Amino acid sequence: MGAGLTSFDCNTHTTREINSWLRQHSDASVLGETLSVVLLNPDSRHNLGVGLVKPLKILIEGPVGYYCAGLCDGIEVEIAGGAGWGLAENLMGGKVVLHGSAGSAAGATMRGGLVVIHGDAGARCGVAMKGGTLLVTGDVGVMSSFMMQKGALIIGGDADHALGDSLYEGKIYLRGEAASLGADARIAELNANDVAFLSGTFLQAGVDFSPDDFKKVESARRLYNFDTKEKEIWKQAL
Amino acid sequence: MPIDDRQPSRIWDESSIHDIQEKARLGRYRIRAFSTSRALPTLEDLTFIPSGLTRVPLEGYRETCSTEITLGGRFAGKPLKLKTPITIAGMSYGALSRNAKEALGLGASAAGTSTCTGDGGMHPTDREYSQTLVYQCLPSRYGFNPHDVMRADAIEIVVGQGAKPGTGGLLLGQKVSPEIAGMRDLPDGVDQRSPCRHPDWMGPEDLAIKIEELREATDWQKPIYVKLGAARVYEDVKLAAKAGADCVVVDGMEGGTAASPDVLLDHTGIPTLAAICEAARALEDMGLTGEVQLIACGGIKSGVDAAKALALGADAVAIGTAAIIALNCNAPLWLEDYEAMGTRAGACHHCHTGRCPVGVATQDPELVKRLNVQEAAERVENFLHAMTLEMQIMARACGKSHVGNLDRDDLRALTLESALVTGIPLAGMRQPLVPQHVASLMGAL
Ligand code: SF4
Repeated sequence: MGAGLTSFDCNTHTTREINSWLRQHSDASVLGETLSVVLLNPDSRHNLGVGLVKPLKILIEGPVGYYCAGLCDGIEVEIAGGAGWGLAENLMGGKVVLHGSAGSAAGATMRGGLVVIHGDAGARCGVAMKGGTLLVTGDVGVMSSFMMQKGALIIGGDADHALGDSLYEGKIYLRGEAASLGADARIAELNANDVAFLSGTFLQAGVDFSPDDFKKVESARRLYNFDTKEKEIWKQAL
Repeated sequence: MPIDDRQPSRIWDESSIHDIQEKARLGRYRIRAFSTSRALPTLEDLTFIPSGLTRVPLEGYRETCSTEITLGGRFAGKPLKLKTPITIAGMSYGALSRNAKEALGLGASAAGTSTCTGDGGMHPTDREYSQTLVYQCLPSRYGFNPHDVMRADAIEIVVGQGAKPGTGGLLLGQKVSPEIAGMRDLPDGVDQRSPCRHPDWMGPEDLAIKIEELREATDWQKPIYVKLGAARVYEDVKLAAKAGADCVVVDGMEGGTAASPDVLLDHTGIPTLAAICEAARALEDMGLTGEVQLIACGGIKSGVDAAKALALGADAVAIGTAAIIALNCNAPLWLEDYEAMGTRAGACHHCHTGRCPVGVATQDPELVKRLNVQEAAERVENFLHAMTLEMQIMARACGKSHVGNLDRDDLRALTLESALVTGIPLAGMRQPLVPQHVASLMGAL
């Protein structure tokens, strides 16, 4: 996958050494010239490639543990294997591609960028997203997109119970079926903007889906305020 | 009992009747701010027993009594160095006004101590005005981002808060201004009910990995705190220490809030007095006293309270409500505005309404103007200085040349309740009422 690129063997180094090495390379990337590196033998190690906020392309040749590519901005990561919890959590920008399935909370609290999971994702994927796009080609677990604020979750397969519970302004696009929708979530028709967004994202992610097969899940906005009839009451002494 | 037609029932007293009728009107729980109004065993129930013939005091007004503290040296490459062990607790921009946050930053920096962002992210002036800034990582993760992680001096993972352990934050729509909504990625004016579970970890094993993530992201330079609402303190502190925290912050049930269902304020958690003792015992039992540092908060009102907290085993304290009172909360100004909210200066607990008469807990631009940043900062600095002097007075009287040297032998309990809660001997006695080994077998400590 990454033949000829600078590589680092996780087997013979501590997590701190691996991340320091990655940070050195991301610091060395200059405008317009992003360095590419390879991590070998990740063996499901937790916390690989975290806290990188300068450009770097990383190929990871194997499965990763928790929080891979968490707390990052502007990086490109491709993982040949599955991932533990919190894949690309709090991603600000950049692209993370997983060739495998992800554990719980994939893309949690993302604020930007694109995460593509070529497989399934566990419970609460896209939880509390604040931006960016999370595309899962397979199924997603229970309570996915719980309290999602902004951004988009695209599900190529089915969703388990309570999809989109307590959504704010985020959007969910679902190709299969949801076991149930969460509180305040409702099915809506796609509009032209949705179709254009999905087409563009599928192209960018290199997946062969058609927007026509998707429906949208959005917030009914009934939970935004305690009770709109009482709005004035909150301004008084209670 | 003789019949008295004017005497309210002790069971159905006037406040219970009012409470029922309010809930019957609203159809939901009641919400208020500030802190529990219950009478609890507190640090006030302890007294110092200073030097006499058995110990030599330091000269009260002259001899050196240090107050400096280093926090977070367990694993962090750059621990915090503070001039006083009194820090400012996390209070968000949103709950508080921008002017209040800036004044806290300036005042605390002048006093040589830290402030904390609170929920809702790091506003640029949080960093600008606070020399030492602790960045909270909350379940909501509002505004949380790696760039601010790098800018912070320490990171505090919030598991819970004393005012409402087990429940997330609350910020009613009237305080969710466009700027606050923007920082939190929320719709304008929404009644923000924050989650209480972290999005990407669940239990203590995951927390250990989360702490490692933050350490890796900051190259192991920044101290990591774990903040707990005081509930099962002994077990929670042990788990936080085992997960790798540098400092554990324990917030007792007297802890403040800008909005909460009132039932949580009054009926959840345990008092700070008990929480400090449980936390100190947990660290002692793990052999981690001093290595994992304990920061106590929840209702700390004075330097004497802080000194007692240190004597019971805390390494530092954090103040929230006391700090906003120093800003001007409940000051006798704009009295008609207190009246308009149905309260009065000295009894206000109405931060949730967004109508704070003194500009501390509001986003209304006209009200915010009432808080002059420079003057408020000076009051905060003065108050921190006064608290620090009070701590030194207590420490010197007990013959200690550093406030951190105060210990349990310097205290006696003034009430049976506090003697039992703390294991400190009752005044007039030389031994605890319940020997400590019996108490720990009973699970009482
Ligand atoms: S004076 Fe302001 S800060 Fe103090 S309790 Fe009232 S509303 Fe809250």
